[in-house]
Amino acid sequence: MDWLFIKDIFHQMLLGIPLTLQLTAISLLAGFVLACLVQAAVTSRHGLVRGPATAYVELFRGTPLLLQIFLIYYGLGQIGLLRQSFIWPFLREPYWCAVLALSLNTSAYTAEIIRGAVQAVPPGEIEAARSCGMSGLLLRRRIIWPIAVRHGLPVYSSEVIQMIKATSLASIITLNEITGITYRLASDTYRVIEIFTVAGAIYLALNFVVSMAFAILERFLNGHLADRRA
Amino acid sequence: MTTLPPQTASSQAAKVPAISVDGLHKHFGAHEVLKGIDFQAYDGEVVSILGSSGSGKSTFLRCLNLLEMPSAGRLCIFGEQVGLKKTSGNLAIRDQRQVDRLRTQVAMVFQNFCLWQHMTVLENLMEAPVHVQRRAKREVRDEAEAMLERVGLIERADFYPAQLSGGQQQRAAIARALVMRPKALLFDEPTSALDPELVGEVLRVMRDLAAEGLTMLVVTHEMGFARDVSNRIVFLDQGRIAATGSPQQLFGGGVNDRFDQFVSRFNS
Repeated sequence: MDWLFIKDIFHQMLLGIPLTLQLTAISLLAGFVLACLVQAAVTSRHGLVRGPATAYVELFRGTPLLLQIFLIYYGLGQIGLLRQSFIWPFLREPYWCAVLALSLNTSAYTAEIIRGAVQAVPPGEIEAARSCGMSGLLLRRRIIWPIAVRHGLPVYSSEVIQMIKATSLASIITLNEITGITYRLASDTYRVIEIFTVAGAIYLALNFVVSMAFAILERFLNGHLADRRA
Repeated sequence: MTTLPPQTASSQAAKVPAISVDGLHKHFGAHEVLKGIDFQAYDGEVVSILGSSGSGKSTFLRCLNLLEMPSAGRLCIFGEQVGLKKTSGNLAIRDQRQVDRLRTQVAMVFQNFCLWQHMTVLENLMEAPVHVQRRAKREVRDEAEAMLERVGLIERADFYPAQLSGGQQQRAAIARALVMRPKALLFDEPTSALDPELVGEVLRVMRDLAAEGLTMLVVTHEMGFARDVSNRIVFLDQGRIAATGSPQQLFGGGVNDRFDQFVSRFNS
């Protein structure tokens, strides 16, 4: 085992972590905001709102993320009107294309997670809140959302982990996050086993931290299930 | 319909009913559950609402705080008419704030307790007084603790609902309703989801409340409670009030055949 080499590539790959985390964090944040809107639209009473929102969810869940990245990075540039517009300086950058694709993609999944979590709130507890004079935002803020968060959190932790791994696709459009650096190292040295193993270990470590963080959060929120867990 | 005059009719004539409905109708699709109900409950009355399953008694009770929207009819709470507007289907709430305010005055206890699982018992009690009625937290906490003391759950204040027995949960739910200082309390089959040996502790709390003069409307299958505790029986049959009167009058028999049949099933 060439520990010196491993140490060297490890240090180089660590430089990709900030970009990986940045892509993940921005996309998750934007995706979550978007997901809330999409979820509200999906559960809307008006068919004209519900239809497009449902189509949006199906479209982004039903097509590969890699294709979405390609379409946004290579495809949008071919639309002349877009090239003249004020957003072109952003869409020209692979960074923002990756953020856009990742955000849209995670928003579709997250919208479904939110929908499931809200639907799983026991109707009886909502009725009890109504019968105590709660309605509108107060009812959501005090009862529905706190319960839904507890239902949705375990599923959402998987989505976060998926997203950390999904940022590796951004390497295809020239971004030097962990996988981008890894790929460059591999094509420079051809020592693929060491290189891809170390990269895998870095992703594993990152996701382990995420898992732990969610586990702690869940434990904190789910005091009411303490007995059932035992 | 068999109507007997309430025993204290003369003293009630001048008073405004606590809860009053006129011509209450409710249908689910083509199925008509309530077919025109006129009903008044007066301050301090304990009314037991009886009827076989499907008679509409739970639906009737739920219409009184608009958890179920009536299809037609007029609803007054302590003389205040609840604003309802016509839509293509059921009536709709005209002013949500009025309904929210009235719901704290006419609190409800559910068959399945419906405590908020993610809050402790004490938090359950404090939720509505603090966040709906906007009363001072410290004062509410004292009152909530006193209420838990009263229903015998003070040592369970920091437990979560899932850690309590059914009977304890229902007593906590009753306490949650009481901390809002309601003027009337609706009970929707409060003992039906309980193991037989736990029914007694809940009924004991309800008897105490009745003795204190709280206005209570109780949908129940507990004939003992209906006979011994309530001032008045309302017997629903196929969406109508088939008979109403004092427990002595109705349980004496011979007033209404359907009621006698209904009661005989409990005695066998």
